[in-house]
Amino acid sequence: MSVVRGTVVMKRWGATTALSGATFTIERGVTGLLGANGAGKTTLLGLVLGLTKPDGGSLEVLGLDPTTAGPRVRERIGYAPEHDALPPDVKAHDLVRHLAEVHGLPRREATARASDALWHVGLGEERFRPVGTMSTGQRQRVKLAAALAHDPALLLLDEPTNGLDPVQRESMLDLIRRIGSEFGIDVVLSSHLLEEIERVCDDVVILSGGRVVAAGALDTLRRGEAGLVVEIDGDVEAMATRLRAAGLTLTVDGARLVIDGAEDVAADAVRDAAVALGIGLRRVQRRMATLEDVFLAAAS
Amino acid sequence: MSDARIIDQGYRPYEGPRRGRAGAVRSLAWHSVLRALGLRRTPWAKILPIASVVIAYLPAAVFVGVAVLVPKRVRDQANVLPTYHGYYGFITAAIVLFVALVGPEVLCSDRRNGMLGLYLASPLDRGSYLFAKVLAVLPVLGLVTLGPPLVLLVGLTVANAGPEGFGGFLLVFVRIGAAGVVISAAYTALSLAASSLTDRRAVASAGIILTLLLTSVATHTLVERAGANEHIMLLDLFFVPFELVQRIYGDPGIRPSIATGQLAAAELAWTAGAAAVLWWRYRKLTITR
Repeated sequence: MSVVRGTVVMKRWGATTALSGATFTIERGVTGLLGANGAGKTTLLGLVLGLTKPDGGSLEVLGLDPTTAGPRVRERIGYAPEHDALPPDVKAHDLVRHLAEVHGLPRREATARASDALWHVGLGEERFRPVGTMSTGQRQRVKLAAALAHDPALLLLDEPTNGLDPVQRESMLDLIRRIGSEFGIDVVLSSHLLEEIERVCDDVVILSGGRVVAAGALDTLRRGEAGLVVEIDGDVEAMATRLRAAGLTLTVDGARLVIDGAEDVAADAVRDAAVALGIGLRRVQRRMATLEDVFLAAAS
Repeated sequence: MSDARIIDQGYRPYEGPRRGRAGAVRSLAWHSVLRALGLRRTPWAKILPIASVVIAYLPAAVFVGVAVLVPKRVRDQANVLPTYHGYYGFITAAIVLFVALVGPEVLCSDRRNGMLGLYLASPLDRGSYLFAKVLAVLPVLGLVTLGPPLVLLVGLTVANAGPEGFGGFLLVFVRIGAAGVVISAAYTALSLAASSLTDRRAVASAGIILTLLLTSVATHTLVERAGANEHIMLLDLFFVPFELVQRIYGDPGIRPSIATGQLAAAELAWTAGAAAVLWWRYRKLTITR
């Protein structure tokens, strides 16, 4: 069963069209919602939560219509918004427990799960500190704990690495990956950073100008044209000449050879050329486009 | 060698019952009550709520002390004990201070620190969120509108200076309840409506106090100096609830020419108007864009 399904979803804010007929499916696992700032990502999250109604089209979240079953949908969703402003004078544990209670958990369970969630995000020792005394990275993790504590079926994370330094960012992305894989919670990660999506997500929905320009499994989208990428330990030009002589079309990119065409034919030719020239092969892999290539191709 | 081991429990799914929207409303209302009173917050956040409560209850404690210590004959001659509705004259400042504190604390803070977005991403929607806030503000204001006259009633009754018989006690008890509801309802609506118009607590608090003062000064000036019709006093937010309280106790009040029905209608209109402003503001509020 898909987690979120949108059909020709439209949303306008005054004269601005935020979403113009977005059709997409978000499957189980970790899905990236990718787009430049203003592409409609936050608007889409708001629609998924049932905070606003679409001007056209329909949306199904966890099998329910968020416009008519908003409270039931939101009960099963954890949401960490983009901003990191939280009440400064409230202790992290009190805040997470309160939000777990608001999501329907009885007090005793909310208390226990708030502690668990704060331990999971690495703030176990800091859980009784006021949020206002915490760093940006810690506040981001408090938000994540608050979104996690009530055991949601779906976690919506809006730019969760905003304001984090590289180390904190790595740690946050590891945590998100763990939530999707070990905790068994489906995650939608909204971000404008390609490398984050590429690192963490199984699937991606790419938004541009309010439209879904590409969607699907990351591996499928990146596969692109057939071919191989070969890294060698030796004379690149000699190898390139040999392969061209064997009828292959290729480009040289530093120590790499990017070969077009059927992968099995190319692989055989590379093996034969390497043996003939006595050149070592460092890496032979299927030709994959980067997410940036996919994004640029889709957006254009 | 010890057998102790650290066991990673991992993530525990929750399969118990969920309390739905009603539970969310209860939880938010209780949390808002605690915040409004400065509980589980820094010592600074407790100062003003505690000061207001002390100002509201202190006269009641003093009057009960007087009732206990001063003989009845002397008390009656000197007329030292206030009427139950006259007691509000001693605590108006505490009520105004509380009204100016509570609404901004429970509404402005949520918008300013991003909690509103988190609440509306829960089973709460805008209507149930505001309902929870009203549920929080009403009893908190009741702490200064209902509590002190009740303390006075119980204290005077124990000191044998209270109403005559159980019937008299019950009548005053009901009147105190009705008076508390009248004042709390009007000021809850005003406090929340003013707080819905700005994200800054200080601005909202100043706005509430200024609204109360300006409507009072303007209407009094018009009636007393310019000879305007007394019914213009129905625009005075100080006058309407407290004059209605006088009528609840069977007192003709300061302006007997204004009928009790007109006062009740003005009270309803002010409360409904403020509630409409509050709803309009929150209905239009954009949470995610």
